[in-house]
Amino acid sequence: MIQFKHISKIYNKGKEDEVAALSNLNLNINKGEFVVIIGTNGSGKSTVLNLLLGTINPTEGAININNHDITSLPSFKRSQWISMVFQNPAHGTAHDLSILENFRLASLRAGKKGLQIGINNSFRKTIEEKVSSLGMGLEKKLDQPMGSLSGGQRQALTLLMGVMDKTDILLMDEPTAALDPKSSQVVMQLADKINKELGITIMLVTHSMKDALHFGNRLLMFHGGQVIRDLNQTDKSTLQLSHLQEWFS
Amino acid sequence: MSAFYLTALQMALCLGPMAMGIFISMKVFNIPDITTDGSYTLGATVTAVLLTSNTPVWLVLPISICAGAMAGTITGFIHTKLGIDALLSGILVMTALYSVNLMILGRSNIPLVDIDSIFNKIPFSSNEQYNQLLIALLFVGCVLAIIIYLLRTDFGITMRATGNNPIMSKAMGVNNDSIKIIGLAMSNGLTASSGFLVAQYQGFTDINMGIGIVITGLGSVLIADTISKWTNIRKIGKQIMLVVIGCIAFQSVLAFTLSIGIDPNLLKMVTALFVLLIVALPRISKSFAKN
Repeated sequence: MIQFKHISKIYNKGKEDEVAALSNLNLNINKGEFVVIIGTNGSGKSTVLNLLLGTINPTEGAININNHDITSLPSFKRSQWISMVFQNPAHGTAHDLSILENFRLASLRAGKKGLQIGINNSFRKTIEEKVSSLGMGLEKKLDQPMGSLSGGQRQALTLLMGVMDKTDILLMDEPTAALDPKSSQVVMQLADKINKELGITIMLVTHSMKDALHFGNRLLMFHGGQVIRDLNQTDKSTLQLSHLQEWFS
Repeated sequence: MSAFYLTALQMALCLGPMAMGIFISMKVFNIPDITTDGSYTLGATVTAVLLTSNTPVWLVLPISICAGAMAGTITGFIHTKLGIDALLSGILVMTALYSVNLMILGRSNIPLVDIDSIFNKIPFSSNEQYNQLLIALLFVGCVLAIIIYLLRTDFGITMRATGNNPIMSKAMGVNNDSIKIIGLAMSNGLTASSGFLVAQYQGFTDINMGIGIVITGLGSVLIADTISKWTNIRKIGKQIMLVVIGCIAFQSVLAFTLSIGIDPNLLKMVTALFVLLIVALPRISKSFAKN
C-alpha cells in the first residue's frame, strides 16, 4: 500500500548545517497495519510522516501510495488518501470555527467544497452521534468555537475528523505528547478502534514506550535515518518494556 | 434627521461593501491588504468612464466589480505564487493602480452630472436624499445577504479555515494559495463596488479619492471587532453585519467632528486618531482593570 523506495532526505544540503535525516530507506507498509514508529530524537521518524504528508520532499527516491507515485504531488492533493493528527492539538483544527464547521470541512476533505450550505439538521445529527461516542459530552457544544476546548478534547475530535471522509492512511505524530494521561488514553484507544473497525492504516510516531508496547501490530525502530528493527505482531507481543529501554540505552 | 448626519449615513452605506471587503481580507484571511486604496478608485474610475460613454448602469456594476477583482487577483498572485509579503504585494499593486486609473480616466477627475446613475434609476421616494438612502440601503442589504450566505457555505467554511489555520486547511485538501487569491479578488471586487457607488453618489471621480480609504474600512472592521468582543458575538453573519454598523459609526464620528467646527483639513488626522483610539481602547481598559 505505502512504499518508500530508496528514500533519502538531507536537510540544508550543501550548507554547513547539513543533516542527513534518512538514508536509502526502503519500506513497505500494508493495508490495515497499525505501525508504531519509535526512535531517538533526530532518527528520522517524523521525517517519514512529513514526507508522506508532502510538507517536505525527498532528496532522492520515490514514494507510492496504492501504486500511485505521489513523490511530487502537492500536500493538499494527498488528502484523498491521507489524514493527519498533529502533535500540537491546535494544528489539527481551526480554533475560531465551531466544532460543527470543523467537522463539515473534514467531511469534505477529498471532496468538493462548493457553494451549498452543508450544515443541516441531518449533518448535525450525524456529528452529534459521532461526537457522543467519545463520552466527553461535546455533542452539546457543537456550536462552540473549537478554540474553547482543551487540548485533549481537540485531539480526540481531530482523530474523529480524520476519518469523517474516505481515508486510507492516518498519520499520527506524537499525538499524546501534549495531553494528560486520561486524554492520552482516550486518543490512543480511539485510534486503535479506528484501525480495527474501519481497517484504516495507521502510522504512529511516539516517544511513549507504553503506547508502543500496547498499541499497533508492527513496530519500527529508527536510528540514524534507517530502520534498525522491524517487528511484526508475533515478535511485538513478546516484547517487554525493559527490552525497549535497552534498545535506547 | 439632520441633512448632515443623513449624508454621513448615505456615505457609510456606500462604503459598506468596501468595509466588508476589508473584513474578508483582514479578519477572514488575516491578510493586511492595501490594494484597497487603488481598487476603490479603480471601481470609481471604470464607473465614470463607462457612465459618461452612456453604458447602462446595470452593466457598469459587474464591470467595476470585475476590475477590482482583477486587482485583487494580481495582489493574491504576487503574494502566493511569488512569495512576496502580503503587505508589500498590496502596496505594489496599489502603486501601479494609480497609473492604471490615471490612464483609464485620461485626466485627474471626471464630473458625473446629468448622467443616468443608480441613484436616479429607481424612484423609491420623491425626496432625492431619502431615495439615495433607500437605494444605498438596498444595495448594501443585497451585498450583505450574498456575503453572509457565501461565508456559511462549504466554500465559505473553507475560506475561513484557511485564514484561521492554514496547516489544518491544507491537511483537509484545501489549496490555500488558490483560496487566498479568490478571497483577495472578492475583497477588492467589493471595494470596487463601493467606488462604483461613491462616484455616482458624490457626482464625480477623482484620481485621489482612494487615498487613505483603507483606514476607513479598517476603522469600521475594528469597531465591529470591538463590539463583537464586548457582546460575545461569534456568528460570522452577525460579525459582518457589525462591520456595516461600524462603518456607520465611523462616518457618524467624522460628521460629528465636522459639526462641532473642526477644520476639515484636520479630518484625515481625526480619522487616524479615531482608529488609534479603537485599537488602543481594549489595551487601555485592560491596564485600568489591572490597576
